[in-house]
Amino acid sequence: MKYRDILMEQEDLVSPGISACQGCGAELCLRTALRVLGKNTVVAIPPGCLAGAGVVGWNYDNGLKIPVHITLLDNTASFLAGVKELYDYLDEDVQVVAIAGDGATADCGFQSLSGAAERGHNIIYICYDNEGYMNTGFQRSGTTTKGSHTSTTPVGSLIKGKAQHKKDMPMIMAMHNAAYVATLNPAYMKDFVSKLKKAMSVKEGLSYLHVCSPCPTGWRFNSDLSIEVARKAVKTNFFPLYEYENNSFKLKKVANPEPVSNFLKLSKKFKHLDEKDIEEIQAHVDEKYNNLVNLAGENIN
Amino acid sequence: MMESKEKEYITSVGEGIYSINTGDWRINEPVLDQEKCKKCGLCFLYCPVFCIEKKDDYYEINYDYCKGCGICARECKSGAIKMVEKGSSSYAKN
Repeated sequence: MKYRDILMEQEDLVSPGISACQGCGAELCLRTALRVLGKNTVVAIPPGCLAGAGVVGWNYDNGLKIPVHITLLDNTASFLAGVKELYDYLDEDVQVVAIAGDGATADCGFQSLSGAAERGHNIIYICYDNEGYMNTGFQRSGTTTKGSHTSTTPVGSLIKGKAQHKKDMPMIMAMHNAAYVATLNPAYMKDFVSKLKKAMSVKEGLSYLHVCSPCPTGWRFNSDLSIEVARKAVKTNFFPLYEYENNSFKLKKVANPEPVSNFLKLSKKFKHLDEKDIEEIQAHVDEKYNNLVNLAGENIN
Repeated sequence: MMESKEKEYITSVGEGIYSINTGDWRINEPVLDQEKCKKCGLCFLYCPVFCIEKKDDYYEINYDYCKGCGICARECKSGAIKMVEKGSSSYAKN
């Protein structure tokens, strides 16, 4: 079945009106992911943009048409591990899915995720990486790119945006030897759907999916540019699309990668960067990409 | 215990669906020119609110919850979708 038919035939399992910003990448990822995952799913959403946008509901009303729990910022994976164990005990085949922001994945929720990956609970953990705590006013997080102008790393005479490089979350999860790790991008929907299907087929161990989720409000670009920004992230090798399973990496190669400045210039959070800063980010991107090429070996297509 | 296939939902899902009228938000709204449309479905894939609906052999914009982000107009390869000021098109409902 073609990926478009899969998407077109499935019901939208999210409430039609949730208050995510105009052009929100995370909303697109949530709706598309749940269309693929289907009704036999229990979702946990920690505090973050999607929980704030009303996906977890309000009072007695639910934001999804399937069960959804709001967990704490730091226990999403361990919460779901318990839920999965219960359904295993009841002998019911239910998909247990986390949809968490990068703060609840790479910073606050990291120890529970690391533990769940190590114990090998069969859950699907989707992280939408919008590079910061966007829900509370664009504070920096561990996955914020170096040089980003955020509310806690402002640009002034002493500091010029975030001083540290981005935490490489999917690689950290691959090094946990998780059953399946993949990077997804909403601009590449065919790839997006096939990787979700693959994560669904994993019956032992944790699947970790890292989604590039541009944030028009926090990164400061026009809302219609969301998909373009996501696409440029792949075309400049800033966000390479790769998979990890059975101790091997599989990398999707980009023909004629563009300089990373083509991605950076779209967002106003990188407006202040001079040539030296951009060179530094480019060097970091190249280093990470070359590392991936070495790891993938012959599995590059 | 019921078979999981028989159950529409696997646990209680609350009394209703929480929803707010995001259709109120938009300043500009998309208008789809059916003659120019090549039925590629890119707008359907990329709309974050899933406002583009597939009918039998054409696509239609549902304005009820459209936030007016403009992604459909930018991503449309055949230029069939234009953003116009809210209320200035005959397609718009409110």
